[in-house]
Amino acid sequence: MDSTEKPRVPLSSVLLIFMRIGITAVGGGTAAWTHRELVEKHRWITDETFTTGMTFSQVLPGANPVNLALYMGLQLRGGIGGTVAVLGFVTPSFCAIILLGLAYNWLSVYPLTSIILGGIAALGVGATLSVGIKLSRHLRAKAVPILIALATFGAIGVMQWPMIPVVAVAVPVSVAYAFWLERKRRHG
Amino acid sequence: MDNRLIGLILVFAPLSLVSFGGGQAIVADIQHQTVDVHSWLSNQEFADLFAIARAAPGPSTMIVALLGWHVAGFWGALVATIAIFLPSSLVMYFGASWWQRNEGTSWRLAIERGLTPVAVGLLFAGAVAVMRAMHIDYIGIAIAAACAGLIYFTKLNAYLLIVGVAALYAALYFLHVVPLSI
Repeated sequence: MDSTEKPRVPLSSVLLIFMRIGITAVGGGTAAWTHRELVEKHRWITDETFTTGMTFSQVLPGANPVNLALYMGLQLRGGIGGTVAVLGFVTPSFCAIILLGLAYNWLSVYPLTSIILGGIAALGVGATLSVGIKLSRHLRAKAVPILIALATFGAIGVMQWPMIPVVAVAVPVSVAYAFWLERKRRHG
Repeated sequence: MDNRLIGLILVFAPLSLVSFGGGQAIVADIQHQTVDVHSWLSNQEFADLFAIARAAPGPSTMIVALLGWHVAGFWGALVATIAIFLPSSLVMYFGASWWQRNEGTSWRLAIERGLTPVAVGLLFAGAVAVMRAMHIDYIGIAIAAACAGLIYFTKLNAYLLIVGVAALYAALYFLHVVPLSI
């Protein structure tokens, strides 16, 4: 293992950070909070690694935030890091859902419960939009990547086409363009 | 092992492997298997558990913990959770490890660059999907936009934002700005 290039993140930090992300994972803003902790705050993960992990975790089977935690844990500390990240992320959710399950009969009487949940979902949407805007900066005002991003959004977000076939078309096109750009740069 | 625990594993582990695109993809199958095939609970009970899962932090597939609890108590919850996350995590683990071994190769770099626009498109599409599922209103859109701005420009703590938004919604409710029917 090359310890000079990558800082060795303590396993206890991996556990604590993913437990924290697990607790804040209400309303679907998980990717945003993960980005904030690992990329912006600690700078352990680059934006490129983050977007790769995100795409992997969305395309492969499994709950996206769990896959994302596993990918990031693997990046930080290998297999054990991945295991710790997933356990850290899932444990608070597990406890919370069991407690909520036990309290549900009591909570569901109040309409305020669903109102507040609606608000937290709006926050999750805001968090997702914010990280989307941050990552958009990597498109660097180039026409083709921007078109691919817009087409992916339009197909899934607006047209509501299924994700897997859309990604199966968009990724090869986008990667082929990146290859071509790299070759052009190298060969003048 | 208890027959009920084995039943939970046999239902959830295969679904884990086909949950392409995340938990939403298999919620309908989970309902079919647990309600129609195994008669572990009624449709109404399933709807209640689904509402709890949406309220709790974590992925929507966490509903299996509640189903497991319903079928076989604490151990049922634990076994169901492991059954839904372990198989897909193993796939992700082997995929990511193979990927990591090829670090620094030029083709990997090109793939990473190529994935960025797709990931950005997926993120915005995901935000829109949540808005659609929650039947978000104009107040919701305004608050989502305000939160996006706050998170983009400031380092405000996530808990502070969650508590703040919850308090704001509670206030709007008591001022009768937010409609009761959500």
